[in-house]
Amino acid sequence: MLDNLVLGFQTAITPENLLFCLVGVVLGTVIGMLPGLGSATGVAILLPVTLSLDPVTALIMLAGIYYGSQYGASTSAILISTPGDSSSVVLSLDGYQMARRGRAGAALSISAIASFIAAIVSLVGLMALAQPIARWALNFGPPENLAIILLGLATIVSFAGENVLRGITMAALGLAVSMIGVASGFSTARFTFGSINLLSGLQFVAVMLGIFAIGEVLNQIRAGGVTPIRARFRDLLITRTELRRSVAPTLRGTGLGFIVGVLPGAGATLASFMAYGVEKQVSRYRHEMGNGAPEGVASPEAANNAAANASFIPTLALGIPGSGTTAILLGAFIMFGLQPGPLLFAQQPDLVWGLLVSFFFGNLILLLLNLPMAPVFAQVLRVPYAYLYPLVLFVSLVGAFALGNNTFTVWVVFFAGLLGYFMKRFDFPAAPFVLGLVLGPLLERALVQTSAMGHGSLLILLQRPVSAVLLVVALLALSLPLISSVIGRYRRRHPARQDI
Amino acid sequence: MTAHKRTRGALAALGTVSLIALTACGNGGDAGDGGDGGSTGGGGFEPGNVTMIVPFAAGGGSDIAGRATAAGFEEVSDATITVRNIDGGSGAVGYSEFLGEAGNGNVLLATETALIALPATQDVEFTYEDFTPIMMLGEDYTLIVVNADSELQTCPDLVEKAKSEGADVGISGATGLDNIVFTLMEEETGASFNRVPFESGAELLTALLGGQVEAISVNPGEVSGQIESGDVRPLCAAAQERYEYEMLADVETAAEQGIDVSFAQFRGVLAPGDISEEARDYWIGVGEEFVETDAYTEYIESNMMQPTAAFGDDFTAVLEENDRILREVVGQQ
Repeated sequence: MLDNLVLGFQTAITPENLLFCLVGVVLGTVIGMLPGLGSATGVAILLPVTLSLDPVTALIMLAGIYYGSQYGASTSAILISTPGDSSSVVLSLDGYQMARRGRAGAALSISAIASFIAAIVSLVGLMALAQPIARWALNFGPPENLAIILLGLATIVSFAGENVLRGITMAALGLAVSMIGVASGFSTARFTFGSINLLSGLQFVAVMLGIFAIGEVLNQIRAGGVTPIRARFRDLLITRTELRRSVAPTLRGTGLGFIVGVLPGAGATLASFMAYGVEKQVSRYRHEMGNGAPEGVASPEAANNAAANASFIPTLALGIPGSGTTAILLGAFIMFGLQPGPLLFAQQPDLVWGLLVSFFFGNLILLLLNLPMAPVFAQVLRVPYAYLYPLVLFVSLVGAFALGNNTFTVWVVFFAGLLGYFMKRFDFPAAPFVLGLVLGPLLERALVQTSAMGHGSLLILLQRPVSAVLLVVALLALSLPLISSVIGRYRRRHPARQDI
Repeated sequence: MTAHKRTRGALAALGTVSLIALTACGNGGDAGDGGDGGSTGGGGFEPGNVTMIVPFAAGGGSDIAGRATAAGFEEVSDATITVRNIDGGSGAVGYSEFLGEAGNGNVLLATETALIALPATQDVEFTYEDFTPIMMLGEDYTLIVVNADSELQTCPDLVEKAKSEGADVGISGATGLDNIVFTLMEEETGASFNRVPFESGAELLTALLGGQVEAISVNPGEVSGQIESGDVRPLCAAAQERYEYEMLADVETAAEQGIDVSFAQFRGVLAPGDISEEARDYWIGVGEEFVETDAYTEYIESNMMQPTAAFGDDFTAVLEENDRILREVVGQQ
């Protein structure tokens, strides 16, 4: 282990590798900030450029793009409610609210610090336990996945706010929209109305851009006459209270993100949503969440970074990609003549350990870049809305076009924007809709697989211990807040009884 | 209508600019060498700026094939070829766009089984007969593999188990190569497998390693690392002949074990329909030269495919055969 670490440092610390690590994380930050250009597209586009480099150097740079984009994606979500990638959608809840209240600099700093801590902790986990964790995660088959996804859906109650019924309605709508396209495992097309553009469903990021970015712009136009946020410079810095309140959520988010990221089929987006949901249940400040609480930034941000790192565990230890982006990275391994697989650690120790150690430097660079930049980026909000909003619209639409390379995606963004506007106008929560949209395809696939494994019966869910336990937890997560809200309402209606 | 068209053009331009800007970041000095003075092909057709459409997103198997072919074609011809990913509709959007290019010899498309599978299962406006087949790069057969600690040793063992106590196999969708292979095996032996559908080769492999399914049928390029490490063991190859790759040379074909089943996924290049005879001959000529290069061999070997290149009408014959089998399999369900 120690030998390997030394070998890793020797590989990663050469000037060339450090330089390309820097190039990777900076490019990644920029790619992450631009909506529509996610880490997967970024890595795929830049892959051919790296072919002339040494394999280790190239992989260090490509991986830097991946985790660098996780930092960048949250920046645009916090500042202008335009999530750069699906895993930072949750940041447009409390992060954006913080920015609206003049705490943009603080929100960006919290996000950078939470990302860094999550990255370092999960990196240690990755280095120490990659092989055993990867083997353990294999035990999670379709029934266990189904139970976890149900657990994720149960967190809707946390997002729904006061009106649980509206939350459930929006989640159901999200699930319905996610069913557009060819059914998982079959060749039947649903809700496509004969349009080939709908065969593979709506692009998640396009819908997000519409609901969050365009919907918010329309909403602000309607509100009219808002003055730009002019925060004094010292208001841009993070306060000690905010820092203190972020510690526990960061650690919880890291743990949850790491576990969810390692499991097959889940991923960073689900991890960030679940982290937010957990925080909403356990945090002392849970009642502030949704209106700009540091907890609502720290926890999901930590979770999505930890999950991104954790997705390298199956990738490096088993040669099976743990996410869309690591799938493309595995393609890069093959193009460099390296055979990904369980023997990679044994056959290419300098490459694997050099790559892992470079994560440490890369994240350090990102922290050092992002902390001083946070107040600077926050200045964006001083731009008068007459200039800022057209820019947001422009960036969102270009992003939409870049997503699918066709104008259909642009229309999707427009329609989702209208939907987002009406949701805000009539106070329907957006988060449950998004959660339904993310989890819909995963849920359906796991359901089809589970029922196939059980030969048509879902009892298999209860026969396997892990899925049975998870299912019970999901039921509790769903029912406890409901029960407590009913009790609360009862008490309010009969205050006298409490006095007795 | 005109206004709409203009927006569309402007957006396209913007998208292109941002992409170019991004690529330019690290791509110093890779300017296309354009070129004049034809050497390949016959007279009559000179390629201009050629577009290679990849109907799937960047990074996938089709993208890798499209980029390798575009680079290889550029090397042996004077054409400048730009790869363009037109994603959506499981490939349908790219093919439909391509359908609109009829008669244009300066557009090519990196094709694979979706060309056959989409018309067989979905309401799309094209079939393979609407296009001009140029070349098949090669064929990708599948291996039937099991977890290393499985008690099964051969493909007949798997069939036996399916008959006696039932066997769960993982597949990657109704029109996947693996579903076709298992269906053909069922027809041949009378057994029936319990199918658990997954989305990708990666998911299938995870399920196999985790013991969630008994067997899967995958392209060798997807499992070579796991075979070498001993985590996964091949039972048989659903191929015409044994592989020549060292690692797979000992793997018996299904036919050797008494189950006469083989089915391959093809990868190749199409030109639009109604192009001139000269343009077709030109591209076939370029393809024939490409097959002789090291770049071609490297592509085939790194993906562990069979180098069964075929051109023009021979490729059409492969498509016909594929179409027949696929429609038979899909029609049954």
